[in-house]
Amino acid sequence: MLIPWLILALELSGEHDKELARRLQRREPGAMDDLYKKYGKLAYSIIFAVVRDTGVAEDLAQETFLRVWTRIQAFEAGRGALGPWLLAIARNRAIDHVRSSGARMGRGTVELDSNAHPSLFVDLDRQIFDKDHAKVVRAAIAKLGDNQREVIRLAYYEGLSQTEMADKLGQPLGTVKTWVRSALKVLRAELGQEAAA
Amino acid sequence: MTCEELKPEYGAYALGIAEGEEKYEIAAHLASQCVECVAGVRSAMSTVAAMSGAVEMVDPPARLRRRVLAMVAPVSDSWMPAWVPWAVSGVMAVGLLGVVLVPTLLQRPQATSKLEQALSILNDPVTRDVSFGEPAARGRVFVSKNKGVVFIAANLPKLAAGRTFQLWVIPTQGNPISAGTFRGETDSSAVYVRPGPIADVAAMALTMEPEGGSPQPTMTPFVVTKL
Ligand SMILES: [Zn+2]
Repeated sequence: MLIPWLILALELSGEHDKELARRLQRREPGAMDDLYKKYGKLAYSIIFAVVRDTGVAEDLAQETFLRVWTRIQAFEAGRGALGPWLLAIARNRAIDHVRSSGARMGRGTVELDSNAHPSLFVDLDRQIFDKDHAKVVRAAIAKLGDNQREVIRLAYYEGLSQTEMADKLGQPLGTVKTWVRSALKVLRAELGQEAAA
Repeated sequence: MTCEELKPEYGAYALGIAEGEEKYEIAAHLASQCVECVAGVRSAMSTVAAMSGAVEMVDPPARLRRRVLAMVAPVSDSWMPAWVPWAVSGVMAVGLLGVVLVPTLLQRPQATSKLEQALSILNDPVTRDVSFGEPAARGRVFVSKNKGVVFIAANLPKLAAGRTFQLWVIPTQGNPISAGTFRGETDSSAVYVRPGPIADVAAMALTMEPEGGSPQPTMTPFVVTKL
């Protein structure tokens, strides 16, 4: 009997985000605070997991909320997935930071946020981020083979491109690409089961 | 790239690790509204978003909330139009530099129009945004081909007397084109806005030139950011 409750919770979360997006678009007082209350800790945690520096994470988290605020008009409030969009922006900020600092700087900089265009978040599953979800995701990651897990870690937390991973792991690019692809396939299957359960 | 060639790259794209040419091709292809590929990328985005569930949760410092809210809070200062706070925040999109630069901007009488111009460039959905770093200076350039350039830097070298910074547009072909001169602030930071269309930019470069600027760079640029 858990399932109807889960579905209800998901729907409510989605409805809540739709309304929240509309309030942000109308520049309503309190909307930003609600957005922060809902996603602040998660956005900060994602950024921190990548940059490993509290000061930098704080700046980048602020920047993330700002970017949502300045781009919210391009967001389709009724159909867009606010949480995933915000978190993609957060992760992009963090990856951009690690990519553009230190030795990796000179090698051409990455255009930010082409993969965080609001239009890509239309009709996306709206995730609910709670403790159970964390468990399910960890279990899904545990299903990956060692190579798959390693490339996902390098991609997700270090923002390495597939070429860079190939260099780092001493493997052909084609092999790395296969690992990335198959890893995402496993994750999608595992996480998809959750949504369909 | 055909849809078939693109299909294996959805995941890398969603993870934000697609590279160079490929990344632009995918972005362009998605912009063409290919139903199949948009759906494929969305599905991959959804998986990547779900992965945030495995991230170890850390409490942000309490002041982060205040910082976020302060960016959008209405202000009572009568001279300041209502949009200024979030315009300021727009400039603060440069993160670390924002703290230094925003007060700098606001001190200036021309600050509001400069902010307005900067904001229109920052908000242009097609604006490209590139960071640069050590050794000479660090900062960020935002380039919108329709609206202009915002150049933000800290840690700039000291200007000798009678010299100025000059920003250059490096086109894909031909000589650099001046994008104007500026002096920066006493704390070695600068926010420079050059409004107006810019065609065909391959890179932006910064040099030091004699007062008034030069028709062509007279030194090797100390900042070059490829776009
Ligand atoms: Zn296609």
